[in-house]
Amino acid sequence: MAIIEQEPSIAALPSGAARTAAKPLGAFSRPRNPVGLKNWLTTVDHKKIGIMYGTASLFFLLWGGIPALLLRLQLARPNQGLLSGAAYNQIFTMHGTVMIFLVVMPMGAAFANYLLPLQVGARDVAFPRINAFSFWVFLAGGIMLNTSWFLGGGANGGWFNYAPNNGITYNPGVGIDFWNVGLLIAGIGSLTGAVNLITTVLNMRAPGMSWMRMPIFTWMTLVTQFLLLFAIPVLTVAQLLLLFDRRFDGNFFNVDQGSDPLLWQHLFWIFGHPEVYLMILPAFGIVSEVIPVFARKPIFGYPFMVFSGIAIGFMGWGVWAHHMFVSGIGPLSVTAFAVATMFIAVPTGVKVLNWLATLWGGKLILNTAMLFSIGLVTQFTLGGLSGVSHAVASADTQQTDTYYIVAHFHYVLFGGALFGFYSGLYFWFPKAFGYKLNEKIGKWNFWSMVVGFNLTFGPMHILGLQGMPRRMQTYDASQGFNTWNMVATIGSFILGVATLSILYNALVSYRAWRRAGRPDVGPDPWDARSLEWSIQSPTPEHNFDVSPTVTDLDDFWHHKYQEDDNGVLRRIATGKEVAQPGNGEGVHLPAPSYWPLVLALSFPLIGYGLIFSLWLCIPGVVLLITALYGWSLEPADDLDDDHGHGDHHERELVGANG
Amino acid sequence: MSESSCHASCVPGDHGDSMEIVKSRTKSRALAGAVGLSLLLAACADDEKPLNTFNPEGPAAQSIDNLIGPIFWIAAVIGVLVVGGGIGLAIKNRVHPDDYDPDDLPPQIHGNPKLEWGWTAAPAVLLIFISVFTVFSIWDLEEKNTPGGGVAACGDTGDLDVLVIGQQWWWEYRYDIDCDGFFEDLDGDGVNNTDVWDADDAEWPLEIALDDDDVSVANEMVIPAGQQIDLTITSRDVIHSFWIPRLNGKRDAVPGRLHTWNLEADFPGEYTGWCTEFCGLSHARMRMNVIALTDSEFDEWLANQSTPADIPPEGSEAAAGRETFQQQCASCHIIWEDGLGKDAIYTGARNEGDADRQGRDFEAALAAKAAPNLTHFATRTVMAGAIYSTYVGLDANDNDLNKGQENETYLAQYNDLPEAIDESDDSLGVLRWNRAQLRRWIRNAPDQKDMAPDDLLGMPAFPGLTDEDLDNLIAYIATLD
Repeated sequence: MAIIEQEPSIAALPSGAARTAAKPLGAFSRPRNPVGLKNWLTTVDHKKIGIMYGTASLFFLLWGGIPALLLRLQLARPNQGLLSGAAYNQIFTMHGTVMIFLVVMPMGAAFANYLLPLQVGARDVAFPRINAFSFWVFLAGGIMLNTSWFLGGGANGGWFNYAPNNGITYNPGVGIDFWNVGLLIAGIGSLTGAVNLITTVLNMRAPGMSWMRMPIFTWMTLVTQFLLLFAIPVLTVAQLLLLFDRRFDGNFFNVDQGSDPLLWQHLFWIFGHPEVYLMILPAFGIVSEVIPVFARKPIFGYPFMVFSGIAIGFMGWGVWAHHMFVSGIGPLSVTAFAVATMFIAVPTGVKVLNWLATLWGGKLILNTAMLFSIGLVTQFTLGGLSGVSHAVASADTQQTDTYYIVAHFHYVLFGGALFGFYSGLYFWFPKAFGYKLNEKIGKWNFWSMVVGFNLTFGPMHILGLQGMPRRMQTYDASQGFNTWNMVATIGSFILGVATLSILYNALVSYRAWRRAGRPDVGPDPWDARSLEWSIQSPTPEHNFDVSPTVTDLDDFWHHKYQEDDNGVLRRIATGKEVAQPGNGEGVHLPAPSYWPLVLALSFPLIGYGLIFSLWLCIPGVVLLITALYGWSLEPADDLDDDHGHGDHHERELVGANG
Repeated sequence: MSESSCHASCVPGDHGDSMEIVKSRTKSRALAGAVGLSLLLAACADDEKPLNTFNPEGPAAQSIDNLIGPIFWIAAVIGVLVVGGGIGLAIKNRVHPDDYDPDDLPPQIHGNPKLEWGWTAAPAVLLIFISVFTVFSIWDLEEKNTPGGGVAACGDTGDLDVLVIGQQWWWEYRYDIDCDGFFEDLDGDGVNNTDVWDADDAEWPLEIALDDDDVSVANEMVIPAGQQIDLTITSRDVIHSFWIPRLNGKRDAVPGRLHTWNLEADFPGEYTGWCTEFCGLSHARMRMNVIALTDSEFDEWLANQSTPADIPPEGSEAAAGRETFQQQCASCHIIWEDGLGKDAIYTGARNEGDADRQGRDFEAALAAKAAPNLTHFATRTVMAGAIYSTYVGLDANDNDLNKGQENETYLAQYNDLPEAIDESDDSLGVLRWNRAQLRRWIRNAPDQKDMAPDDLLGMPAFPGLTDEDLDNLIAYIATLD
């Protein structure tokens, strides 16, 4: 829109007359200056969408965390009957599914949406309406998936949902269908979001922002979006095949008709392993932004950080069968994938060592954001090391499907991704909301999370190697798993409270800020380095008054610090002095729209139709077509909105970069 | 039987030796004491951890343990260095926020390509080193999986060949004594018998029939110690995974595929395992036992298993139980008697009107998809997916639903088995039927273990059985030694 919309030739006409004369094409009007809820429902602002992604994923973190605590309660002691086998299977399946698809992925999307345009110096993403649609369709899929609890039970096949256990023969209930259709719908959002963000980075960077001047978070997000772009369709294919099997008597995974159930495993993990990296790379990006700011040094080895991220993105496609070392793929495949998996540790190791080298010789401000970043470096490394031990394929025949694996991926996803996201939340919170989170509560938040996390997942290494398989509703006293399970359960409750304390912190910090008369936190509260800190906090709706011209990596920082005559680096200006004042006069912004939301709503309708009755698909399809037409026939922007039309900067940028 | 009376982990091995070493090092008594105590604790703990992968009792598991042990140490050192480095740097370089001086910048180092290439290369070299050992290990272990040679190899190697079939939620073990495979053309589609030991030739659905020479047991695999058992692993329904951690790693049981694997126990003993691929409702209650016996004991066991079940004398309690069994249980369970076909289990979709060799209609058989063959039920120490003991010690609480120590006691008495069966016969003074559990199981199995008989998954409840029926049934089952 910002790019493709063609305004009537206002510039050529005398102003005033042109405004009334040139009514752009369009059958529908767009919402005008909506406020309150309507504002949020119709917004196409990448920042609001980012905040909604973040809010949704924090909600789902709570929603997926309660099942985790139930699982731990059930396993606290041997032979407990708190959860039946049927309930346990649904709960562990939904815990994994929610945490991966509705927490970690959208949390990454939240940061990407909010920060990516700011870091490349753009006013919005390339396709703002599609951006809104991405969010709403993700939310629609996520909510639909979870309505299964009230409409026949949750999915019970595990997040990996192996065939043929996911087939109608062995799983006649609707839980698997909700999993299948819900994630299909949410996947549409990931795919459109990926296209959108890739286009934004490719085409909308500020003048002078060459590839090697892009912040590492932007780089990692770009790699992530490419992974999404190619990985999600593979899952979609698998899910469509499963849909045909379950709803329309297909035989893709029917062994009696000659199919091989390993087909599902290959499809799922070709998606599933890049998925692992697209969950961790945004957190790597965040940490690479936070550590230099609070170590007061540039990131050590920027090119290595960038290329190791890209290397991970490529190598992530060649390791999927390490999830299948015991499924009978043959020794040659096992050898190939074992060796490939070993070597993905190389670029990851480079990142870890470069972070440590950035800490080396720095002057570290150990605030909460920094602590969470150092937390990622240390905790993720432990998960990475256990990962290498899985790559020893012979030994993996003992490890796989035990709690050792559960320990491993919680160390990389919780100790890695989530610690990174928490670091990012503490770091960018003042940029988004205009006040800092409380440091004292923040430090409690961090330390209690470290303790709870290690108490919960540390013992699982031992449990797994002592022979406790995953996905077990219960175990026997005679099997010797009692002590560590109890420890893990205690740890999980500490971790639960610790994880939630960020919400308490937000509340306390907000109240304190309001009581103090809403003081201005300033554009650059951390003395930071990238472009988002060169504008006011909270970010003005139009982001940049004028598009910045970039001459350096960490361009903003170089505006503040320069060498004096003696060659000593000195601060020549504060962030406040060099920041843009936040004057949105004359800036053109895309107008809000109803249609992304309406279009997104049509998908769950079709989804319910696929599950319960195909007749229900009819209103869904009608709504879908209506929304597509409405979208297309809506005026590109509303001439009666508040913004003037003097600024055509973004179009010029396209010319500059594209 | 003296060896097998000792639990596997008590066999003199590393733990005992290392404790001796520690004891002889008496210079620092306190230290030695502490280390000795921790080793002792570890040894004791192992005794209570029947699935511990760090306590291998077979050559394959041992080889895996030898490989991964040093790698864990390398990983531990790197872990300590990185975590320690992170924490150390944080402590060393921290600046109090109050002392923050914007002009006091640390040296602005942008990187050091030599250093960075160095720490790109160093892990790569280390990983190449680990990879070499890993690759050799993969192919070494693969070489143990030799049954691909087919029928001839089955006989030639002299090793035992067992077909392992997973199904919701128990394991079946078929011993191919005469090495002629198990397949025959049950569904009459003209596809000929195929050799089960040659996975490449196998047609799916498998049509697996037992010869009179073959043996089928459930839940508990009995093997001779000290020799390799060649396994072919498959599944009748969803994917399962066969895992006896102390003997070998796991291998998935995938329907439509035949996977070769092997087991070998160094010493006689009991080894437990668990299904390790999520297989639905009762995944947590799909366990397995392997009992390794000495050669002579094993031959005796096999000879016994190869005989048909005794028919109890007319008018006895057991005879009444047999009648009840044939009315209530025989549509799913088989008890092989002289003159009857041994059984025929067909793994794929069945056609209406098909019948197996015992004349059971396939639809009924599908209800339990071939329930455990009960011919020599009384010789098994576990039942119901290896979650309950068949026997309990006299002192054991009747309500103790779970198998545990008593199995070892049973193992000790394995040779004296026939006398140990009836609870009224306490001449042995050690063992008796886990009668209470058997009654609960037969009357209402879904109440004891998550199953879904309405969806044709697992054993249904039999609320119509009277107490007398149950007593008769158990009396009958007790004769199945």
